[in-house]
Amino acid sequence: MTITTAAPAGTPPVPGRGRRGRGIARMCLRRALFAVPLLVVVSLALFALAARSPFDPLAGYLGDRYTTVSTADRQRLADELGTGQSWWRQWASWAGHAMTGDLGYSRAYAQPVTTVMAERGPWTLLLSGVALACAVLAAATLGLWAARRAGGLVDRAVTVSATLVQSVPPFVLSLASVSVLAVGFRLFPVAGLTDPGADPSLRQVSRHLVLPAAVLALSLLPWLVLSLRQSLRAAAESDAVLGARARGIPESVVLRKHILPVALGPFTTVVGLRLPELLVGAAVVEEVFSWPGLAGSLVTAARELDFALLAALTVATTLLVLAGSLLADVAHALIDPRVGRDG
Amino acid sequence: MRRLCAVLLTVSLAAGAAACTAEPGARPEGIVLADGDELGGYNPVAGHGEAGDSKIYDGLLRLAGGEGLPAFEPALAARLPEVSVDGLRWTVPLREGVTFTDGTALDAADVVATYRAVLDPASASPLATAYEMIAAVEATGPHEVRFTLRHPYAALPAKLLLGIAPSERLTGGLASESALNTEPVGTGPYRLASLRPDQAVLVANEHYWDGAPQVPRLTLVHVPDDNARAQRLLAGEVDGANLPPRLAAGFADRDGFEVSANASADWRGVSLPAGHPVTGDPAIRAALNRAVDRRAMVEHVLAGHGRPASTPLPAVYGPGYDIGAGFEHDPAAAERLLDAAGWRRGPSGVREKAGVAAEFTVMYFPEDTLRRDLAQAFATDADRIGVRVHVRAVDRAGVPGRLPVDAALLGGGDLPFDPDPQVYKTLHSRYADPAVGSAYDNASGYVDPAVDEALDAARRTLDPAERAALYRRVQEIYLEHPGYVMLVFLDHTYVGADTGYTGALPVLEPHSHGVNWGPWWNLREWTRE
Amino acid sequence: MAESAPGRSRTLRCAIAVLAAVALYALLVPALAGTDPRLTDFAAADLPPSPAHWFGTDFSGRDLFERTAAGLRVSLLIATICAVAATVLGLAVGVTAGALGGRVDGLVMRVVDGVNALPHLLVGIVIVALYPGSVVAVIASIALTHWTQVARIARAEVRTARTAAYVEAARLAGASGPRVTLAHLVPAAAGQALVAVVLLLPHAIWHESTLSFLGLGLPPDRASLGTLLQDARAAVLTGSWWTLAFPALALVVTTLAVAGAGAALRDRITPPLPQRAVR
Repeated sequence: MTITTAAPAGTPPVPGRGRRGRGIARMCLRRALFAVPLLVVVSLALFALAARSPFDPLAGYLGDRYTTVSTADRQRLADELGTGQSWWRQWASWAGHAMTGDLGYSRAYAQPVTTVMAERGPWTLLLSGVALACAVLAAATLGLWAARRAGGLVDRAVTVSATLVQSVPPFVLSLASVSVLAVGFRLFPVAGLTDPGADPSLRQVSRHLVLPAAVLALSLLPWLVLSLRQSLRAAAESDAVLGARARGIPESVVLRKHILPVALGPFTTVVGLRLPELLVGAAVVEEVFSWPGLAGSLVTAARELDFALLAALTVATTLLVLAGSLLADVAHALIDPRVGRDG
Repeated sequence: MRRLCAVLLTVSLAAGAAACTAEPGARPEGIVLADGDELGGYNPVAGHGEAGDSKIYDGLLRLAGGEGLPAFEPALAARLPEVSVDGLRWTVPLREGVTFTDGTALDAADVVATYRAVLDPASASPLATAYEMIAAVEATGPHEVRFTLRHPYAALPAKLLLGIAPSERLTGGLASESALNTEPVGTGPYRLASLRPDQAVLVANEHYWDGAPQVPRLTLVHVPDDNARAQRLLAGEVDGANLPPRLAAGFADRDGFEVSANASADWRGVSLPAGHPVTGDPAIRAALNRAVDRRAMVEHVLAGHGRPASTPLPAVYGPGYDIGAGFEHDPAAAERLLDAAGWRRGPSGVREKAGVAAEFTVMYFPEDTLRRDLAQAFATDADRIGVRVHVRAVDRAGVPGRLPVDAALLGGGDLPFDPDPQVYKTLHSRYADPAVGSAYDNASGYVDPAVDEALDAARRTLDPAERAALYRRVQEIYLEHPGYVMLVFLDHTYVGADTGYTGALPVLEPHSHGVNWGPWWNLREWTRE
Repeated sequence: MAESAPGRSRTLRCAIAVLAAVALYALLVPALAGTDPRLTDFAAADLPPSPAHWFGTDFSGRDLFERTAAGLRVSLLIATICAVAATVLGLAVGVTAGALGGRVDGLVMRVVDGVNALPHLLVGIVIVALYPGSVVAVIASIALTHWTQVARIARAEVRTARTAAYVEAARLAGASGPRVTLAHLVPAAAGQALVAVVLLLPHAIWHESTLSFLGLGLPPDRASLGTLLQDARAAVLTGSWWTLAFPALALVVTTLAVAGAGAALRDRITPPLPQRAVR
């Protein structure tokens, strides 16, 4: 991102509020239009792939009985459940139903897919939201701390530990934290949304949320810290900041008013781009901690070959990620007045 | 900036500390169990409680607990069924005065509706194959039902364990989409009070016909991962769970926990396809059966929770069916058998005969670590007598096509409460044809006319002593002329903590082993200590 | 942004040394020891680390030192194949987009954005769910989600190179479009592509081990580190900590070494921003 040399007396001309708002609205519209063909392509690809794979939907439906049900009965079941049709016809029927809000029936959970998503979605949102907020907060704190004295002890410590944590897959982090903190020292509950038998009250859920959210935030942290540090460095070396320092403005003011706003721009873009990683981490964390969320149910749907749920979740995650990156870009546009439209 | 960061940090730390030190809410009276299976799906037509293990529904008959082969006692039936002379018509009188949890009375129409729904192709019930011997079900009175069978079937009582649902709720359509899956209505000792994705709560049915249970509340928590279940049990969050043997063994020395194991007829063994030149050879079959160290498999792979298996009929069936020790672990005898049959060791140590090397592949399902471990132990034992066995993971869709050529680590024992469902489809020559029944039935292609005759005769006669003698004969013939290498019968392991209740009884278990079984299968009979 | 030049080369040398040690361990130990992974030895089951078994044994009696080496070899092999596949694909797409420019470039970049938007592991899970136990599916699921980074970098390099004087000269001399591309533009992007392969390795290792851990990855016959870790989950409770610790350590050390080498290599190859030497 180039930084125009600014005359000390004022900032370069900025699009006015109205023009900025319209620019953002146009960006949203363009993204929404882009999203529709993407979703169609993704769902078509999924059905086509499933058709060519050795995947047998009956295996998920019958579970252990797969080996005892006779071949003739299996054929009858396949006819009854409609699994023998061509893949594009299955896609067309699925897409048609999806338009009316019927996403099919989840065999793994014995509930309609929409119910599964409605029941489990909020818990994933809670976990991811809390983890993201904590990670951003921690990244901002650490990044600023490290940027104060570039190349100093804190800076190097932060970089080294961030690189270290980045190399550890989230499942290793989860296992380690469970065995040490939950089972070993009994500091936190081991798993689940609440204590068994208890209702999901604020106290219960917040107690059980601590460890999974901490692990998830920790798995996101390295990228955020490193990229914030990078953009802070780049901003600190810019002409505008050198000029401000030369004018004798105190360091803390420079940090707050000149470096941080400029660095926040690319930082929010990185946050938006890292949203897929958030979902990935959430899937693993939900799996290890038995958190009843939607990301973990993707793993279940994959293992049990629950195709209705798998298709719905694939489309939903694509949508969610697009929305997330759009949100990040909108936030970026609002924060940095020089960015008013799609780059 | 620094001040803002400090404030935020303090606030979040304080919130975290408050959340951590909050006391967990007082647990309501009752028992909490962690189950690995999904919650929901409470429709008998979709397969819930097929073996009479449902707490929400009752069947016509139910199991009486205790060691060995369980007896059947009447539940929703008033008395045990009466059988016609030709064995084709079974009449069951119903108990009167029983009501469902929604207030409607139980009558013959409910029984008829339930069994008809299972047999109806439109419901796509996974139980259809298991009930194929039933030709028709009719109500011969408001409290009497008659089953008409396609052929004589002495083991029908094992099929009458299925839970009965009210006819008003069985409205047709796919069984997996019925409202009964999430809002069950049954006559059982418990009823469903609430259902969440991760937790189901069952409360005692005050108007249960056999007396309300003393344990007022059962909470089932869904924890699919074995290790997570064990950890929650250790942390005191649940009172019991089903765990794989190695994890359960970790609790053996801990205070406050009791490890229990229920015997099952759940067998694991290697099918030996008759069409393959190596596995079809009688000498190889006999030698392999003597080469495997079943006791070591039980001790190490099953952590001691299992029994060696030589035939598909377990010793737990009792002395009536027992033919004594099966195959002894005798590698030397195995080697002599192979030498005598002409299988000589080649330069690499692998035996060969007439240019054919003693080599074959054993398949197992990729996600099943137990089958993988047993297959590897089997390969090691075979290696010692000069037979090279390759072990390969093949997914379920790919296995049936390869069963005629490759061996497979298979299992059985879905419904062990009668010897017929236990061995008929495994040993009868009719099922050697992959097109008949499932491809996994009689995967070895085992054909022996004497065994066929004994199995068919045992189906027709109702005299228990005669049946026991016939099944002993089947086993004796099988030992002379084996078709599989049966390895082990699994014991299902469970770990429970002290709850203030007592009353668990052992029971023979089928293949499925969630927390519906284990020490808690007869929860309705438990009492306060 | 990076450390000073001596610091950089120190990191690079250190990382390469660790990588070499890891590669030697992964390649030599299984070849030299040559134990059959099928065979079990129950008499030696669940032994803690000792002079006879440096890493202890697992519950089937197999030596963990060898199993970890074999698992590491599988993980590295799969990761390398994935990284190379992703790089080749990304290079092809990026060079094409950069060389052709215009509307094709715009369209291709839209596709790249689209694919990049999808969460890698979740797409990977969907692909391997449909082809359970297939090694090709695991490789495809990783390669098909990671090629976009390479494509972006390759396109940027090609676009810069297009405007360079020597490329203009080649065109004026009468070289055809494809020849210009192959002879000049691809080599311009090749340096970054090599770095991309190295940088993708940790991602591929991470991705494959997570899939195997979830039970959706490689078939258990060819155990990778992720499979070993999944098997060892019970170790938290049964007390055989060595079955969990050593594979996890191998995973972390390898990923770190590869990431460090890749980062140092990238800093070496990418000249500092203001000066771009035109060769």
